Amino acid sequence: MNHNINRIVIVGGGTAGWLSAGIIAAEHRVAAESADHSFQLTLVESPDIPTIGVGEGTWPSMRSTLQKMGISETDFFRECSASFKQGTLFKGWRSGNDDSYCHPFSAPHGYTEINLAPHWQASRDQIGFADAVSPQSVLFADRQAPKQISTPEYAFNVNYGYHLDAGKFAEFLRKHCVEKLGVTHIKANVLGINSAENGDIASIDTDSHGTIEGNLFVDCSGQRSMLLGDHFGIPVLSKNTVLFNNTALAAQIPYDSDSDPIESCTLSTAQSAGWIWDIGLPTRRGIGHVYSSDHNTEDRASEELLSYIAKTVSKKAAAAATMRKVQFSPGHRAKFWHKNCVAIGMSAGFIEPLEASALVLVELSAGMIAEQLPANRDVMDLVAKRFNDKFLYRWDRIIEFLKLHYILSHRQDSAYWRDNHAPSSIPDNLRDLVELWRHQSPWHRDTVNADEMFPSASFQYVLYGMDFETQPSQTLRRSELTAQSQAQTLFRENAQRRAQLQSSMPTNRDLINKIHTYGFQKI
Amino acid sequence: MSSFAIVDSSVHRDLTVNTNRGAAFGDNLMFTMTYPMEFRDIQSCYPIFFSKDPETGQFYPVALLGFEEQSNLFLNGDQWEATYIPMTIRRQPFLIGFQPDPEKGDGATKPVVSIDMDSPRVTRNDGEALFNEDGKPTDFLQKTIGTLEAIHHGLEHNKGFVAALLEKELLESFTLEITLNDGSNNKLMGFYTIAEEKLQSLDGETLEKFNAQGYLQSIYMAMASFSRIRPMIDKKNAALD
Repeated sequence: MNHNINRIVIVGGGTAGWLSAGIIAAEHRVAAESADHSFQLTLVESPDIPTIGVGEGTWPSMRSTLQKMGISETDFFRECSASFKQGTLFKGWRSGNDDSYCHPFSAPHGYTEINLAPHWQASRDQIGFADAVSPQSVLFADRQAPKQISTPEYAFNVNYGYHLDAGKFAEFLRKHCVEKLGVTHIKANVLGINSAENGDIASIDTDSHGTIEGNLFVDCSGQRSMLLGDHFGIPVLSKNTVLFNNTALAAQIPYDSDSDPIESCTLSTAQSAGWIWDIGLPTRRGIGHVYSSDHNTEDRASEELLSYIAKTVSKKAAAAATMRKVQFSPGHRAKFWHKNCVAIGMSAGFIEPLEASALVLVELSAGMIAEQLPANRDVMDLVAKRFNDKFLYRWDRIIEFLKLHYILSHRQDSAYWRDNHAPSSIPDNLRDLVELWRHQSPWHRDTVNADEMFPSASFQYVLYGMDFETQPSQTLRRSELTAQSQAQTLFRENAQRRAQLQSSMPTNRDLINKIHTYGFQKI
Repeated sequence: MSSFAIVDSSVHRDLTVNTNRGAAFGDNLMFTMTYPMEFRDIQSCYPIFFSKDPETGQFYPVALLGFEEQSNLFLNGDQWEATYIPMTIRRQPFLIGFQPDPEKGDGATKPVVSIDMDSPRVTRNDGEALFNEDGKPTDFLQKTIGTLEAIHHGLEHNKGFVAALLEKELLESFTLEITLNDGSNNKLMGFYTIAEEKLQSLDGETLEKFNAQGYLQSIYMAMASFSRIRPMIDKKNAALD
């Protein structure tokens, strides 16, 4: 059996399914007719199971993902209720008393050449780390956009990702995949799974479209994980001893008026046993509370959410709010690719959306499948092993990075925050890194791989945003003598750039209105 | 600041317009909007590029007058040293405004002639009168109305022209590097021009269509206008001496 891998079947629609379909079909020429060299991509979606619509925040990587699929950014903004996301503003994470810090998407000024973190230490009492090294955080306060209407599509003045309506996004991708990229869409319920002699999935039986054969099956069936979980029995590795949050209450809150400002970053506000996300779309805000059910009751969590809505939107909005409850077990599958089946999205794993890792993991997973698509069944096991190694590593890094937000907190006001400091809850690698960072700031060579999820810049923004102290070096490096004046120049340039951006960038709302009226140019 | 009023023979009977040239009248511009219908005249004096409206991101053709903001190389005191002056300059201080058209109703508008009352060109006793003593429009005003009408049609024409160029990806950004006689290097950025390679690979059907719409001639005039850059650099160098 040395079949070419040319029939991919994706089980499950939703953002994970359609994003995967689009990414694979953007790389491989999909042809519906069956010629010898044909490549078929079929997505089977249940007409009865609603999509859960998680993941309304993206990383900047989504820009190139959409562009590669041949999507017009203007269409995307218009049809997915998209807005600009330039990072995250964390509130109340340090002490719970009105503290806040920014984690912007743009790297520190001069990041490829010089580490500004040690040079910032001297002025840390006067200026926050992100403000000193990045031009972007200045745009958060007045909800300004990262570009102008004359900036071409996908290009930017400062780096950005998106906030979007997940339901509309899945529908938008479906249309593009089917109409432009040759993906076959089948609406049917999966009734059974048929095995081949070697244990692979040979085909799936459906209620309305008979048997669908394939030689690679992508499981995008959500938390249930119909193929990898139900069929192959690959277990979930729970991470609930590290990350405690396992319940979310989500609400959609309308604006008071069409001209209300739209936030240009995700707001993340720490609570007694979790945190509240606040995502601004042009049409509404998505506000939700993700918390640990071991540390909080649903009543109290809902009270905290309503009080947030009352405070930041209006009492009227809080009174009218309806909440949807989502329960999840934080963790991921023991492996993601088994035999000829690979899981992407919630079927692969799920954790709290603190750093919006859900959609970027879909992009990376589908991107690796598209790029490394095994030529035949013989080499598939090799590709599968590499895939598993890479994504197990990535999940570990994500979990550590999320945990970092908790262990840097000085909050002691509830069992939740105290439990987060328990040594048994902290992964060894993270503990070692934090110990290291007490003596040297994060920098390029900390990382093992070229394509790390989080560059050292992300660690710097979180560490120093949370007031972490790195001891100054006791010895002087030769490079320091020139670095000192170079750093001062960069700080000065950054301050100028901030002022220039602040005076020239439109508000998020203004720019989005203009995208709807005029659209972006391609050049 | 501008404050536009609709031109009215009863209100503006005494008004005159100063048609002299000069920086004081706002002529010191780096570039100005132009239209394919005047490309033949424009390209004999000025390079034609494309620029984006910062408010809308929409492209429109421009005649380049200088290499930096507030610098018109063709303006020498009160003299505009060129055989042709772009329509958007000549129309000052008039503009086409739109007001509701009660005859058509339903949100329809009709073009009306407006004047910027804050323009330094607007005077009471110095220049061209708008109306005769009997309240009839003067030749000057008649001519201005003709220019405004041409601009009105030109704006519509630009939309179709630019959309056709964009659809065929015939615009590209470019940077013009200019070394002056004093050794200084200057960069002209933010403008767009015809992508000649793309143009050369256009299919026959598109060429035929572009020809029928008059776009082909406009494209080649814009390309030919590049030769006007050299005389502008010479002017710039001459100003250094």
